[in-house]
Amino acid sequence: MDSSASPVEDDIIQESLEYESEKQEIAEAVEGSNFEYLFLSYARTNNPLGTQQGRNLCILQLDLDFEIVERDQFLKDSSSAAVVRIYGVTESGSSVLVRVHGFRPFFFINCPVNFDPVDLPTLKGCLEKRARELTSVHKCQGPVVRDLEVFEGRSLLYFVPNDPAVQYLKITVALPTHIRQLAQLLERGDVDFGRYERTRYLTFEASVDFLLRFMIETNMYGCSWIELPSDKCQFPKKQTSHMQFEVDIHYTDLICHPPHGEWLRTAPIRILSFDIECAGRPGVFPEPEHDQVIQIANYLTETGKSEPIARTVLTLGSCAPIAGARVVSFNSESELLEAWVSFLAVTDPDILTGYNIVNFDLPYLLNRANVLRLSTFPFLGRLIGIRTKMQDTRLSSSAFGTHESKSFTMNGRVIVDMLQILVRDYKLRSYSLNSVSFEFLGEQKEDVHHSIITELFHGNENTRRRLAVYCLKDAYLPQRLMEKLMSLTNYMELARVSGIPLAWLLSRGHMIKVVSLLHRKGFAEGLLIPDMKNAGHNSGEEGESYEGATVIEPKRGFYNMPIATLDFASLYPSIMMAHNICYSTFVRKSDVQYLKPEDYIRSPSGDCFVRPTIRKGVLSKILEDLLSARKIAKKELAEATDPFLRSVLNGRQLALKISANAVYGFTGASRGKLPCTEISASITAFGRQMIETTKSLVESKFPSSEVIYGDTDSVMVKFRDELTLEESMALGQQAADIISQSFPKPIKLEFEKCYFPYLLIQKKRYAGLLWTKTQTYDKMDCKGIETVRRDNCKLVANVISKVLEKLLIERDVQGAIDFVKRTISDLLQNKVDISLLVVSKELSKAAADYDANQAHVTLYKKLYQRDAGSAPSLGDRIPYVTIKGRKDQPAHERAEDPIYVLEHNLPLDTEYYLKNMLRKPLERIFRPIIGDKVSSLFEGEHTRSITVTTPSTGGIMRFTKVSVSCLGCRTPIPQSENEQPLCKYCKANEASIYEKILGNVREYERQYAMLWTQCQRCMGSICQDVLCSNSDCPIFYRRRKVQKDLQDASKQFQRFAIHSSPPAW
Amino acid sequence: MVSKEEQNLATTFQFEARLTQASLIKKILEAIKDLVTDANFDCSAEGLSLQAMDSSHVSLVSMVLHAQGFEMFRCQRAVSLGINLASLTKILKCAGNDDSITLRADDKGDKAEFVFESQTQDRLSEFELKLMDIDSEHLGIPDTKYSAVVEMPSSEYRRICSDLGVMGDTVRISVSKESVKFQVDGDIGKGSVCLHPSSVVDKPTEVVKISLEEPVDMIFSIRYLNFFAKAAPLSDTVTLSLSKDFPLQVEFKFGEQMGYLRYYLAPKID
Repeated sequence: MDSSASPVEDDIIQESLEYESEKQEIAEAVEGSNFEYLFLSYARTNNPLGTQQGRNLCILQLDLDFEIVERDQFLKDSSSAAVVRIYGVTESGSSVLVRVHGFRPFFFINCPVNFDPVDLPTLKGCLEKRARELTSVHKCQGPVVRDLEVFEGRSLLYFVPNDPAVQYLKITVALPTHIRQLAQLLERGDVDFGRYERTRYLTFEASVDFLLRFMIETNMYGCSWIELPSDKCQFPKKQTSHMQFEVDIHYTDLICHPPHGEWLRTAPIRILSFDIECAGRPGVFPEPEHDQVIQIANYLTETGKSEPIARTVLTLGSCAPIAGARVVSFNSESELLEAWVSFLAVTDPDILTGYNIVNFDLPYLLNRANVLRLSTFPFLGRLIGIRTKMQDTRLSSSAFGTHESKSFTMNGRVIVDMLQILVRDYKLRSYSLNSVSFEFLGEQKEDVHHSIITELFHGNENTRRRLAVYCLKDAYLPQRLMEKLMSLTNYMELARVSGIPLAWLLSRGHMIKVVSLLHRKGFAEGLLIPDMKNAGHNSGEEGESYEGATVIEPKRGFYNMPIATLDFASLYPSIMMAHNICYSTFVRKSDVQYLKPEDYIRSPSGDCFVRPTIRKGVLSKILEDLLSARKIAKKELAEATDPFLRSVLNGRQLALKISANAVYGFTGASRGKLPCTEISASITAFGRQMIETTKSLVESKFPSSEVIYGDTDSVMVKFRDELTLEESMALGQQAADIISQSFPKPIKLEFEKCYFPYLLIQKKRYAGLLWTKTQTYDKMDCKGIETVRRDNCKLVANVISKVLEKLLIERDVQGAIDFVKRTISDLLQNKVDISLLVVSKELSKAAADYDANQAHVTLYKKLYQRDAGSAPSLGDRIPYVTIKGRKDQPAHERAEDPIYVLEHNLPLDTEYYLKNMLRKPLERIFRPIIGDKVSSLFEGEHTRSITVTTPSTGGIMRFTKVSVSCLGCRTPIPQSENEQPLCKYCKANEASIYEKILGNVREYERQYAMLWTQCQRCMGSICQDVLCSNSDCPIFYRRRKVQKDLQDASKQFQRFAIHSSPPAW
Repeated sequence: MVSKEEQNLATTFQFEARLTQASLIKKILEAIKDLVTDANFDCSAEGLSLQAMDSSHVSLVSMVLHAQGFEMFRCQRAVSLGINLASLTKILKCAGNDDSITLRADDKGDKAEFVFESQTQDRLSEFELKLMDIDSEHLGIPDTKYSAVVEMPSSEYRRICSDLGVMGDTVRISVSKESVKFQVDGDIGKGSVCLHPSSVVDKPTEVVKISLEEPVDMIFSIRYLNFFAKAAPLSDTVTLSLSKDFPLQVEFKFGEQMGYLRYYLAPKID
């Protein structure tokens, strides 16, 4: 502590000198409302684009949108058109807005019966006439139907015998909105085509998003580089955005580079992470209608730079200086908010991040500005004069579940909320910033409860400084997380691989990626993708279900011998490739008879697909591209040395894998764009067959071997009882090679690892020590075991992982048993840290909406009655522990707030924890090892020491008096000998008992001091009180518990009537 | 150094006591095992006592068996026997109601011995119970002068509690000079039972007696009063003692000089 104190002080002195001169300037700028001046030093540097020198302009595209113009001045065309706006960065870090002109959207329909191309102009006229009747197209300048032509191609769905090319009509329209409108008319048969009979038309590719259409047409991928030839660029006179440069160009002049080779690099991207603090009223979660925004902290970085560009906190009211950050104070909230808008405009970030900014910070700011009638505030995007609008959105995805959230028009700024990313990509116990930082960064953070914030705000400049430090930390952590998890790199690579804009990855489900790939490939092959009726927004009706993957019944037990694991690499993608399964190879049942038997393959589920010699499936081609690209990326990754390139390549190979696996899901998604259960059913049927074949092949080719378990894409093989790891690995490799040969390419059975030892509990639940080489094990691998489940308390996870460690790594069964007994004994004696017993559940809907009685809901009601103010609000995770209650009281009524339990010394229901939480998972693990003796873990000597705590609250406690008992043997001491610490029998041992109790006090004092120091360190100050109430932090609970223990121990100690110094707290 | 005296003590039992009727202990156990799961039995020269809060800390149980109530009682030094009541119940199931029961404990404090002897002395059974180490504080309710003391037959008490228990969760007990009234107000309706002090004393066990300093009117949880009613077999009469803002005391006496079982229940705030 001492060694670090002096540099910090120096820092502060230096900072304050700079601060004095700066303060003056800031004050002047604030006075004149010249907010932009404040932040000019953070603006992007002005590098010329070099187009004057004839150099082509290369831009990394980050986001795109489009606008509708009534007349296109660039094209000198006076009809309505959509102009695509591309927001990007140059290699030198200049921001450029590219407006792309001239692209018109199109879709396809099948030709009318007996169609004659001579009639094209007539048909076009008919369609235009009908379209003009729609009220919604009245405003459109110029013709709606821009072009009508014959397109020769095939439908993606179904292979038709002899594979004839079919004529379609390609309809090009003026504006994106017209597509839907015209397609609906045609689908209804609501267009009169003169001499052709009125009929309902099938539409193709009408549901493709305009921007995706544009990207496919120009062969542009997400986050990819685009090149603008210098002689084709036009620079507008008037600046319409906050970006440094604006360029106009025709879409056919755009050169789009697929993300390969040199185009894998990235440009300097500006990322702004921010966090706001609000001064709530006591006991109510801040509401924008009433509560001020008091601070906004900003942390601005640029990729490729090690130092942040800006660390700034805007505060309401004075604030003491903070080392390493800039503080700008304002006198009114309106000024604060306006200054932030200027900050955004000047710094011009490409990406906005933070923690829960989408559902808290941004809506709060916008609503607050609305309440304050700040008309200048809601302009957070990159275009001048375009208002930021907020909308409620609801994303239903089979993979991510249903999420309600908000969306914003932020033209050109991509919102990457780290909370959303974490919820999407990681399964965690808690998503609070505290616990997430601990999980990924290994840091605890001070948590100031929102009820204390107002108090700090109304204090003095030092308390506000404290708040500002806290606020800055909250702005800083999301960036740290983003960096550590490489979220941005990985998501950018995913955008590149799947070919969709970065923002879509977060705002849409998995399917859009496959849609993009399918359209791109189909477009290249002349295949049209039919629009499925009701697809996408099917109302509740579930598609037909089909049989899923197979599981070979596990032979449970503890295997103290190497178990070889044979895996099918990328099982479903390789099945699709091997058997040419695709929409475009799928033969209708009625058409099968027209095919020669050698031309098609029948899947085990009975559906037929033509062989690749007849037509190669589009899905196979997509998968081949993805997997070969992954192979290349992996190879490059192995060769690459630059850490940044390595992270890009790793992100890329992951993105390729994710995309390949998404293809199978796409065919089976009943609410997807193009569901085809025959395809997904065929794939799983092949999978099941392969697992069964593998099992019988292994068992026949390797006598005395046994397949003990198999699931979806892997089988576990026990070759023999007595076998070394080396032998087992050799056999595994041999088996994989032999069996691979019996499957068509590219299906490959791989041997990757052995488990030794291996504990097979039941299906999808096992644990083992994983070996890929013979020298050392790689890791302990657990599946479906309580170490990873979230609905348990930490104690369970800790005990289980420790037990597995002892069983599998140390191979010490007795040690594991002893450990369990010790833990149970500690639990019963109330020696277990309460933070380990906390379970938390989210209050996901209003308490009244819950049907069943759930612990956290009952507790919520209790807390609300106790103090409506500090009670948790909707969406909060409520932590609770289970306490003792009446004999017949249901468990949910016994849930209690852990802090309340600590403060009032309420007795925990340790029996409940033992019986309902620990017992089952432990039994599952130990039963295969020690058989029926498992019950001995939970009964016996170690369960006979218990502690009954005396609560400080509750019914009878107000009236009771504690009578004195002997400190040595606990027998009551008669009234006459009151105040004696010991009974007359224990008196003889007074010295040793005294020593023991003194030792207790000392130990608790030491622990308390250590924990307190820990909290001071985390808080970053030793001169202030620790305010933190971070309920995710184990230190916090331990600090409270030790405080209590210390009080009790000192009380005992004082009974010896030897005067000790008063306690230190 | 171990003194001679201590050596002698170690070889014999620190504590030994015999009760002629095992049924008394059995009934006591029945009466408290729903409230308390583990408790320390404190043995001292004065007798055997137990004090424990129920697990939801709303009520308190206090039991005393005076030394003179035992057929034989010897206590060399005070000891606390930590007993799991469920385990003790299992052992006591093996004793006949009319058996005599002998309880012994040595000073190691890790086990207690139970010896059951039939009246005819032709059957002797011995059991050993492993003791627990229960770390808890000794709690008690200070003695007080109650404003109202009602004595009534135990069976009457039990009946009132079970009758009113089906109607609601809480009972209002009002005591005046003329009567004691139990009122319940529940979801399905309300009800009350009123007892008047008996004018004629035919059988002493059916008497209702009220001694009053000042009238009281308090609310209690019926659920707990029902738990207490399990003690009815221990005594023909029960005494309810009430004072404003003070716990209700429900006392069952085990005959003259033997001892008592008392329950205390915190009042509900209106």
